[in-house]
Amino acid sequence: MLRALWDNVKGIYSLLVGMSITWGFLFSPRKTVHYPRQVVDSEILKSYRGPLELIPDQAGATKCISCQMCVRACPDNCLKVVKSEGGKNPKTWIYDFSLCCLCAACVESCPAGAIRFSHKVYLVTKTREELKLDLLADLKARKSAILGNVPKKSS
Amino acid sequence: MDLSLLSFVQIIVAVLLIIGLMVGNAVVMVYVERKVAGFIQRRPGPYEVGPIGTVQPICDSMKLLGKQLFVPANIDWILFFLAPVLAFFPVLLLFLPIPFGPYLTGLGVGDGILLILAFAGFGVLSNILAGWSSNNKYGLLGAARAVSQSVAYEIPMIMALLAVVFMSGSLNLSEIVAQQGSWPWQWNIVVQPLAFFIYLVSLVGETNRAPFDLPEAESELTAGFHTEYSGMGFALFFLSEYANMLLVSFVCATFFLGGYKGPFLDGFWWTFAKAYAVMFFIVWIRWTFPRVRFDQLLNINWKWLLPLSIINLWLTAIIMKIIS
Repeated sequence: MLRALWDNVKGIYSLLVGMSITWGFLFSPRKTVHYPRQVVDSEILKSYRGPLELIPDQAGATKCISCQMCVRACPDNCLKVVKSEGGKNPKTWIYDFSLCCLCAACVESCPAGAIRFSHKVYLVTKTREELKLDLLADLKARKSAILGNVPKKSS
Repeated sequence: MDLSLLSFVQIIVAVLLIIGLMVGNAVVMVYVERKVAGFIQRRPGPYEVGPIGTVQPICDSMKLLGKQLFVPANIDWILFFLAPVLAFFPVLLLFLPIPFGPYLTGLGVGDGILLILAFAGFGVLSNILAGWSSNNKYGLLGAARAVSQSVAYEIPMIMALLAVVFMSGSLNLSEIVAQQGSWPWQWNIVVQPLAFFIYLVSLVGETNRAPFDLPEAESELTAGFHTEYSGMGFALFFLSEYANMLLVSFVCATFFLGGYKGPFLDGFWWTFAKAYAVMFFIVWIRWTFPRVRFDQLLNINWKWLLPLSIINLWLTAIIMKIIS
């Protein structure tokens, strides 16, 4: 009986501790950001694995050798790589993000180390067609942005 | 009480003002609840509609008004539409005897607390009818829980209020306020701390709020007794839930916190400030504690609150007999 009473007193004390914690949180600063006006610090996004992107080499061109390893490794069939005539480099590099399961099989299978996950959190489209990303165009846009030209709006 | 024309007009005006208070209270409390929930979880809460989201509850209620009234198959039509009405209208009556200010009472009922406790039972009745008539297993389970919970928590609640009634010797709410002083150490909470604690716990159980929101536990019963209600039926349940919260807060302020009496200047602002402090407390514990299990809920009531309230009542009776 006495032990049950004492347990209840301890229980009420723990309830008060919980209430003091939420009281503290009530007046502590917010931890979220208002998305359209603020964005998350890009340093935090380094751990985010978004849609694929091509890794540029020293000159800013793609490292891809069109070996089709990623296309074969992909469980979702979301990649389409077409080799250009008379060269190793790809002509088209279409990536359907609406199918991708972000399993990283393509990243691991790539012998040239040409692809990686990007940190794009804010990818929003109105149709599924827009989720078919042209990664070569994306690479070109990034290259021109780095070189200080007028950045092209990537789709 | 003479039923002259003047008192009739007084009741009409009081009921209209109380409807205004209920609706205004629901709008304000939806906003406050979502804001407090957001702040406790370290996010901003409603933010986009109007300045810092103040127009959000009005937009939500407009959306609710425009919703299609969806009716499930094989329901009991009369009871299904009677239940929300039955949840809403008795609450109007419950606000009548509360002394908001020294002269601001809807209806000076002699035994005001009896009226409140008697008609508060209608809330449970509407829950049963809603759960049973909507032909839904979640609804029925929620109704069954609502009955066993409300019936259980009503008893220590009445016992706690009875302890104060023993001290003041009156069931009249105005009389109970009049016997308390203006300063906090002259309020009933000082002489009846245990009754205040019991009342505080059982009012959360009585209004079906978290952590005792078993009848409408979202994760177990989707929405409990009002699962099948949409549009205005749901809105009436919602409104009456917030009105019930306000009512128990007003009763708490009247019985334990000195009612309209307060430091410096007595008036209705003290009643409202105290009632909304209790409301804030209810919201605060909702976002602090997880939901209890049903057997725990009833154990708290039958094994702790009820014996404690009986002991408290007994002690109060003995002490009052000795000193008087």
